[in-house]
Order: sequence, then structure tokens, then C-alpha cells
Amino acid sequence: MRDFFLIFTSRINIILKSITTMNAVRIASFIFVIGCFLAGSYYIFFRLFNYLIAVEIIGIALMDRVIEMGFFVFFIMLLFSNIITSFSTFYNDKELYFLFALPVRPTSIYLSKLFENCLYASWATMVIAIPLVVAYGVTTEAGFLFYPLSILSLFIYLIIPAALASVLIFVILRLLPQLKTRDVILLAFGFILGLTFLYIKLNNPTILKVFETESEQELLRFAANLTTVGGGYVPSTWLSNILKGLSVNSSQGIFYFLLLFFVSMSTAIFAFFMAKALYAQSWLLIGEHSSNLSKRKSLLTSFRSGSTKTLLFKDILLFIREPTQWVQLSIFVILLVVYIFSLRRTPIYFTFPLWRTIVSFANFAYICFVLATLGVRFIFPTISLEKSGIWIIGSSPLSFRKIIMIKYFFYVLMAIIIIEGLLIFSNIFIKTDQRIYMLMPLIAFFVAASLVSINLGFGGRFPQFDVDNPSKIAAGSGGIIAALMSIAYVGISILILATPAYHYLATTYLHRPSNYPLIYLSFIGFFVFNIFTIVVPLRIGIKALEKRDF
Amino acid sequence: MKTLVIKNLKKKFGTTWAVRNLNLELEPGEIFVLLGPNGAGKTTTLKLIAGLLHPDEGDVVINGIDTRKNPLEAKSRIGYIPDEPFIYSKLTGREFINFVAGIYNVKHDDYEKKMAELFKRFGVGAWIDGFSEGYSHGMKQKVVMCQLLLHDPQLILIDEPLVGLDPKSSKTVRETFIELKNQGKTLFICTHTLSFAKDIASKIGIINVGEMKFIGNLDELSKISGKRDIEEIYLKLSEESVNETIP
Repeated sequence: MRDFFLIFTSRINIILKSITTMNAVRIASFIFVIGCFLAGSYYIFFRLFNYLIAVEIIGIALMDRVIEMGFFVFFIMLLFSNIITSFSTFYNDKELYFLFALPVRPTSIYLSKLFENCLYASWATMVIAIPLVVAYGVTTEAGFLFYPLSILSLFIYLIIPAALASVLIFVILRLLPQLKTRDVILLAFGFILGLTFLYIKLNNPTILKVFETESEQELLRFAANLTTVGGGYVPSTWLSNILKGLSVNSSQGIFYFLLLFFVSMSTAIFAFFMAKALYAQSWLLIGEHSSNLSKRKSLLTSFRSGSTKTLLFKDILLFIREPTQWVQLSIFVILLVVYIFSLRRTPIYFTFPLWRTIVSFANFAYICFVLATLGVRFIFPTISLEKSGIWIIGSSPLSFRKIIMIKYFFYVLMAIIIIEGLLIFSNIFIKTDQRIYMLMPLIAFFVAASLVSINLGFGGRFPQFDVDNPSKIAAGSGGIIAALMSIAYVGISILILATPAYHYLATTYLHRPSNYPLIYLSFIGFFVFNIFTIVVPLRIGIKALEKRDF
Repeated sequence: MKTLVIKNLKKKFGTTWAVRNLNLELEPGEIFVLLGPNGAGKTTTLKLIAGLLHPDEGDVVINGIDTRKNPLEAKSRIGYIPDEPFIYSKLTGREFINFVAGIYNVKHDDYEKKMAELFKRFGVGAWIDGFSEGYSHGMKQKVVMCQLLLHDPQLILIDEPLVGLDPKSSKTVRETFIELKNQGKTLFICTHTLSFAKDIASKIGIINVGEMKFIGNLDELSKISGKRDIEEIYLKLSEESVNETIP
């Protein structure tokens, strides 16, 4: 245990040192941005819960349903993100060569790496989960004890997916050490997806059903079902039961808190013993297999005319060859395809065109948020990932302006393909109003151009050349700032566009007098705002790189 | 025209001067070897010339081109290898060379023959087509040595060229440098390998605590130090320079 505390405290010292050596303005802006995000998320959840609790008969049950569904989704997301970061944290980190050469127990290394992995994989979920829990407490007028206990429960909750992901990776690599990173991640995902599918099939959880009735009796039956959602064997149910119990001072809350604590600790102990048996062995086996220098066909030969093509092709090649990159993108794409196809039923649920138009507007906002997430995960790290070649690029006759602009146009193209594709297909399924259908792709073009600029610009302003893993780069302080800036951009854009959307709907469907000057003014405002969000972040990134010492 | 002119170059990290009042002029066909203890300012000097660090004061002029006024034009005349030659781990050595050629706009036909010859000379084997993540330090060093000459630079800057290389490859590097010198190229090398400095240097500089203490050829340094052996010369002069700087 002494070894673990030594490694752990040295890690904490490094984190504290990096914070204390930060520029005061950067710390202040970081705290401000995080604070704004937490406050904004809290406000949205608070409004949502207040709305739900006011719905007669099923209001509270609906709110609990949202909470439980949220925690279930969090659990799956935590499991996925822990798996993605596990491989690089437990096996690919260069620090491991140093640590395994020391007279230190592998379990001590495991525990310190588990903490690191859990931190990187879970921070984003916590930023959403904490405001959700606080908003739930305020809405249900919970007592003071609710807040510390439920937030503590959230932290305990994180241990289960982190420990399970590490065990899964250890078992796969111990049994099949010759597997490449790509295969390990795919196998682990397959396993998790299979389990999730089985859970949904066997438990048939009500949380995933859509309520479709207008009869009061059925409504009551449905409400009664909602109180037993999800089955009692998943940690997300226990966590939501903790919240429900603590909010009404029921002993149920304490019971589920103890249950969650016991299961989390048991999972951690189980993972500890699995690590004791498998970690060091599998790490050594991986080392033996990775020294293989098998011959590959050179793909960078046919694109040798000019620096622009060379840079672009290098970026594409590195992306394709890095499984943590494309596997994550593939999962995103699969989830988005599922989402788009789920919209096919929208015209059946919403027959009145006004509602369909509102749904299409909500869908547009959602797609913008998705693009913001993709931007932080895949575009923000792109400058930091140049670390290996920064000595060659920095000493070559290639300006940082050109490098950034090459990347910018490439990622804008990719972003436009994604956002336009999503919008066109989703609007076809929703059967959106023709004018909105025609206008949205034009607006989406600006959204794509701005989000790429924000993520690339901040990627240049806050690069992390000392980190190899793109997920970790995106999870760093610069990534958090870029994420929050992206979300703020989407929020402001939606607010600006809400005015013309409202007036258009009111004029078209409710036959109210039109207010064209306000509509035009909003569009001009949106255009000016986007010129700012396209130009300024890129300039910030270029200037920062030009001034930087490498 | 002089290949490299450095005037009053200064660089500060926080409150510490990494390089102070550095002045140096190098002619075509010269090999300048910079010696100094760890943390003396050798790598900083090299990075300042390569454009990877911004000087606080002073000028660097390469082939008559001021690096402040026209950095990209100046950079096109240099070839640089750092002390830790990182290569993108998911590119093969061959792909990395092609990447560098693309960055410098060198056409494949112009370097294909040269590369084949360099591969042979440095003993680059079939491993050049494997991912560089599996390379040893020596293998990486060989790859970056090959890419260095792709765009025919006038000024070659190398930090610790022999680290990780086997004796045969070290000899090849030595011969290659002398060949480049004979072609009129200027080489600026930082190293701790004194025998290497003695064998190839036309001029030696000794730097300590950011200041260039002595510049001259081996005979001149021998005269100043009163010693004959390169190791003794270095120890004597670097010791003197430390004593000089202690208040």
C-alpha cells in the first residue's frame, strides 16, 4: 500500500503543480467557464424537473424515469469511455516502463492507473451528473443530507464501470496477447453491446418504452409501471433509488446507498485481485508482441505532390491506423444512424405540422450539440497530436497559418458532410416544413464552420504535446474550455435562431401577424455572430502557435 | 556569403538566461561543434537557429536571410535533427521520409536514388517498412539522418548525432559529415562525444551557463588551455568557464 500512496501522491503533486503554475487568467477563465456550464446545466434540469413534477398523476414517476434513464445511459457511456482509455492507460503509457522496472507491486501500479483512468474517462459525465442531482434535490425540496450523500454516491458509482473495464481488458489481453489495440477495443465493445442488448431483451425495461395512450386507466397503469423501472439488478436503478429515497428521507435511500457502496467496493476488490493475477503478465506479453516490425505497404508514396496533400494524407493515415480514433468515431456514427432511424415514427406521433416543425428545430439543436461533441473529441486534439513531428514541421518552411488552414478546410468539409447528412435525412423522416428544410442546411454550414474553428483554434491555443492519447487530450483543461465554448456557441446560436423560428411558426400555423424586420435582424445577428466565431478562434490558435517555443 | 551569422543572441526561460550574448559566424564548408556540460545552452542555441524557439534579443542570419524578417525562407535552407528524433509512431520509416519530402516539396524522382544510396550506406533494412513505434533509438536516428539530406540544406543542425548508433553507423555518420563539408555545406553539431568533435570539427565552441566561453580550432583551444588531449582541453576550459561565472 505504501507503494501505491507514493505513486498516487506523486501523481496528485504533478496535477497540483500543473494547476499552481498555470497563468492566473487561465485559471480564472477555466473556473468561469466551468461555473457557467454547471449553472447552465443546473438551470436546464431544474426547469425540466419543474415542468415534469407539475404533470398530474405521472409527473413524479416521469421525473424518476428521466433520472433512471439518465443514470443508465451514464453507466453505458462510462463503461465505453473507460474501455477506450484503459488500453492506453494500462498498457501504452511510456511511464509504465519506468514503474514496472521499480521494486513496486503491480497492484500498486494498477490502483494508481485505475484512478487516472477513472478520472479521464468520467469527468465529462460528472459535469452533467452533478447539476442533474442538485436540480433533482431542489425540485423535490430534499433535506440538507441529500446533497452530500447523493454526490458521494455519484463518485462511488464511477468505480464500478472503471473497475469492470480494466478487468475486461486484462482478461482479453491475457488470453489473446497477440491482439492489436483495434481488436481489443472492438472485442470489448462487442461484449458490452451484447450484455446491454441481453439486459434490454431479458428485463424489457419500461424506461425504453414510449407511452402511447389517452385513456386514464391505462395512464394510471403506466404510472404504476414507471415506479418499477429498469429491474433491480443494475447500479443505475440503485443510484436513482438513492436519490428518490434521500429526497423523501426514506430508509430506502440509505439501503441503496449501502448496496451501491458494497457492490462498488466488491467490484474494486475483485478487479484488484484480477489485476494481481493478470496485469503484470499481460503487460509483459503485450511488450513481446508489440516489438514486431512486420512489413507494410507504404501508403504515403502516391500523395507526394505538395505540402498540403502530404499533411492531409498523413492526418488521414494516422487517423485510420489509430484504433482509439476510428473505433470511437464508428460508435458515434452507429448511434447517430440509430437516432436518425428512430425519427421515422415522428410523423405518426406528431400529425400537426406545427409540432413537427418544433421537433425538427429540437432535432437541429441536438445535431449541433452532437457536432460540438465530435469537434472536441476529434478536432481539438489534432494540433496536440502533431507533437511527434513538431520538430520537423516547426523547422520546415511551412507556416503554422498554413498548417491550421489546411486542417481547417479539411475538417470543415468533414463536418459539413456529417451535419448536412444528419439534417437532410432526419428532416426527411420528420417531414419538416419545406422552407425550414431548405434553410437549415445553410445555417448548418455556418455551424460547422464555427465549431471547427473553435475546436481547432483552442486546440492551437491550449495544445498538450506531452499527451499521446487523443481522448485524454480532449479531456484536459484546454479540451474542457473548447467543449464549453462549443456548447456556449450552440446555445447562443439556438437562442438567436429561436426568434425567427417562433415568428415563422406563429405566422404560418397560428396565423398571427408577421414580424419580418425582427426575422431579418435575427439572421443578420446570426451571420455577424458566426463571422466572429469563425475568425477569432482561428486567429487565437494561429497566433498562439506562432509565438510558442517548442 | 557566410552560411550562419549570429549576433548578440539572447534567450531567457523565466528568470534564467539559457543563452546570453551569443555571437558566431560560420563559412560554407565548416563543421562547428558545440561542447558544453548538461544544461549549458547547447540545445537551446540549436533550437533558436532552427526557429523552434523565439529569441528575446539578437539576430540569426542564414545565407543572408534574417530569420526574424523571413523565417520560412530561412528555414528552407536548413536541415535539423533534435536530440530525440520522434517520428509519428503509426507511420513507417519510408512513409516518414516521403512525408518530409512532401513538406519540403521535393519530387520523388529527385530523391529516390539518393535515398536508396543512403539506406545502403546507413544499413537501413527491411524494417524501414514497419511502423516506427517498434524502432530502436538507433533505427530512428538512421531514418532522420536519411531525411535530413532530402532537400539539400545549406546549413545542417544536429543535436547529439551519435546517440544510439552502433559503431559502424557512427563511422558512416562521420564520413557522411566530412563528405557534406567537402560539398560546401555548413554543419553545426552539439555533442558530448569528444573524440567525434576532435575528428571532424573545423571549429569548436565551448558553452556554459548560456555563454560562449571559447571558440577556435583545436590548436587554438590547445594553446589557450595548455593541454593537448581533447578531453583535458574540454575539462580545463569548461571548468574555467564555471569558475568565471561564479560570483
